[in-house]
Amino acid sequence: MILLVYIYFSLFIFVFVSLWKALKYAKMPMHSRWELYPVPKETGERAKYGGSYFEDYQWWAKPREVSHVGELKEMLKEMLFIKNLFVNQRPFWWLSYTMHLGIYFLGVWTILLGVGALTEPSGLPSFIYYATLISGSVGALLTALGSIALILRRFTDTTLRKYTTPQEYFNLLFIFAVVITGMMVWVGDPGFNYGRMIMKGLFTFTPFTHGGVLTVHIILLGALLVYIPFTKMSHYVGKYFTFHKVLWENEPNLRGAKIEASVRKALSYQPKTSWSAPHINNKGN
Amino acid sequence: MKNLKPQDMGKRTEQLVQLGKLMDLPAPYDQPGMEPPLTVPKDAWKEKHCTTLDGYVGIDTLIRPQTKAEEEQVVNSFLSGLAKIFSDDVNRNFLQPLVLSIKYCAKCNTCSEACHIFKASGGQEIYRPIFRSEVLRKIVKKHLTKSGKMLGSLVGADIDINWETIARLGELAYRCNLCRRCAQACPLGLDNGLLAREIRKIFSQEMGIAPKPLHEKGTMLQLKTGSSTGLTKPAFLDMLEFMEDDIFAKTGKKIKIPVDKKGADILLTHNAGEFMTWPDNPAAFAVLFTEAGLDWTLSSDMIGYDNVNYGLWYDDVQARRVAQEQFKVAKQLGVRRIIIGECGHAHKASAVSMDRITVGEDKIPVESFLPLLWEMVNRKVLKLDPQKNNFPVTLHDPCNVVRMMGVVKPQRQILQAICPQFREMTPHGVNNYCCGGGSGFAIMQSMNFPEFRKQVGSRMKFRQILQAFQGSMDPGTPKYICAPCSNCKGAIRDILEFYHTTEKFNIHYGGLVELVVNALVDIEKPFLEFLA
Repeated sequence: MILLVYIYFSLFIFVFVSLWKALKYAKMPMHSRWELYPVPKETGERAKYGGSYFEDYQWWAKPREVSHVGELKEMLKEMLFIKNLFVNQRPFWWLSYTMHLGIYFLGVWTILLGVGALTEPSGLPSFIYYATLISGSVGALLTALGSIALILRRFTDTTLRKYTTPQEYFNLLFIFAVVITGMMVWVGDPGFNYGRMIMKGLFTFTPFTHGGVLTVHIILLGALLVYIPFTKMSHYVGKYFTFHKVLWENEPNLRGAKIEASVRKALSYQPKTSWSAPHINNKGN
Repeated sequence: MKNLKPQDMGKRTEQLVQLGKLMDLPAPYDQPGMEPPLTVPKDAWKEKHCTTLDGYVGIDTLIRPQTKAEEEQVVNSFLSGLAKIFSDDVNRNFLQPLVLSIKYCAKCNTCSEACHIFKASGGQEIYRPIFRSEVLRKIVKKHLTKSGKMLGSLVGADIDINWETIARLGELAYRCNLCRRCAQACPLGLDNGLLAREIRKIFSQEMGIAPKPLHEKGTMLQLKTGSSTGLTKPAFLDMLEFMEDDIFAKTGKKIKIPVDKKGADILLTHNAGEFMTWPDNPAAFAVLFTEAGLDWTLSSDMIGYDNVNYGLWYDDVQARRVAQEQFKVAKQLGVRRIIIGECGHAHKASAVSMDRITVGEDKIPVESFLPLLWEMVNRKVLKLDPQKNNFPVTLHDPCNVVRMMGVVKPQRQILQAICPQFREMTPHGVNNYCCGGGSGFAIMQSMNFPEFRKQVGSRMKFRQILQAFQGSMDPGTPKYICAPCSNCKGAIRDILEFYHTTEKFNIHYGGLVELVVNALVDIEKPFLEFLA
């Protein structure tokens, strides 16, 4: 029972803190424009070569065109394939993507376990069974391989080692430990039946039986879920803002435009403190 | 120092790095003796300034303290400013991008390969974009976070915070051109350029320390006299008269340059450095605008005749003050729009960075001159003969115009229409390399800083220029680098002089409008002097 509550708690913290972080970023004051081209929400060819509406003669007199599809496409490329790393640093991408792809597979596996738990009483569909088997095994192997490879790469590369803190090794090691304990459980239960059992327990608030290795695995996984949102491993939140709200945010402030009200509000803010340099409070002298 | 790490920034050594083997240059600059050796800093500079980073002095107002108390005062002042950049009270304009860039670096080091300064230096560790950011991150961790105070080196809070650390970090913020090429490459969308700029802001806004050419002789002078060049209104008006005479002598066209014309369609603004150093550029604008029959004007009002905004590079408060005055001029004249001439950072300042400091009636639309110029060329408003420009021409993309603003195509369309031998640099467009003069470097002339700019900062650009003209290096063939930006022109002028490239290989530089005027059918003599 304690373990069940622990899982609820871990999941809650993971979701709650992630959302709280997202909300914190979303509520930050409007910043100065700081876009960087290419901006994928520009239309047509411009999104590719990095052009913008500023290329139009009298751009401000023309209707603003935005390609949300283009933005979504670029976002998916970055989310699903880590495109920027692929383009700019292929050797590192192989390692990083191995781990991330593994995590994505494990995400799918978790959903499939849930679906399996719901459908099992009326007979588990075989494709769900096999999809679970494939996603779980591939996910675990890739995540384990990727995380240990990243640790080794960071440790053996003289440049990366200079910039890697003990905490950053720990983060990777933590992921590796969770996956390895999961794989140890999997060895004794190749069909992931324990996973569906846990899911059933979570859906019905029913305690489940658990052996020693499974207990260790659940404790580690729960701890990881609690830990992630407090660290930079929560870049799944930050990345949305760096791209959408900073680098791709090029909404012009035109007279009568929708953004004007927000700008007006931002401009009305009166700071309570000040910078200390002499010229700040002594304009032009 | 061997195997240098960010933690070493606080160590009391004479100089962290000594530049040696730089990136190779292509032929004919791949031969020995084509480049003077790097120098060492003078003892007097070592005593007075911070030369302990790489031997160069970028911040001429950063003075080495004489007593322990003075040292502590500098450190405390920095730490006070550090806390302020994370404040949602005084740093609202950059809080979100700053926090994101500080928090999420995955240390993948992708940024290094994108940085022209790191590459040009032969891979010096301190010039990796992540090196500077990591020093800042460590100070933030140590001074501002609970985890850093409790766990120290385990979470990366392992750096000594003393005068040397702070002074070196300040200097290091002026080894970045703020070109943001590294941010384009970052898989997490983080921005080392922004972090360098935030360090500059702490120095200026909190500590009152900024390079003289940017602050005292830059924004402060501009707010006082109207221009960072010191150009006053009477001198400006005299200059225009001289320019009208010069236009007549060169083109045979009698032009009256409109000044302070109320209710004009266009307020054209220039970098005042153009009037002083490259008057052919504003003259060419005058010829083309008159030829096209545009309803335009210049302003002789305080700040109206100088569109620069050096605040963009180091100080938000100054940037805003300058921009407010510039926008006020446009409003008072009652113009319909502001057109920015050939100045890259003025493009970014007026159209992008300062876009959200005015609303309602105060908001006057800002445009780049490039779409307008392409409109004039494309609609054949101007009668042009491309054969007059039949020599190799390459284009330098000012970072502020392309990467920061997305104006990429019009300048290419113009060059393709009027220059039969136009060729691109590699890479170009939004992937271009900075000229090495960006973020104030072009005007920072104190002590040995120009050496750093010319031999390291501008090195990648010089390589690109040479590569663009490979096969045409014969001194009998004139060649032209089109650089539609004052600061870029300044940096390119300096490298061409430094490497004697003009005298040896007949390579020239200038703006875009000069090429267009040179192609005008009804002008008898070449407008470009090197063709005369």
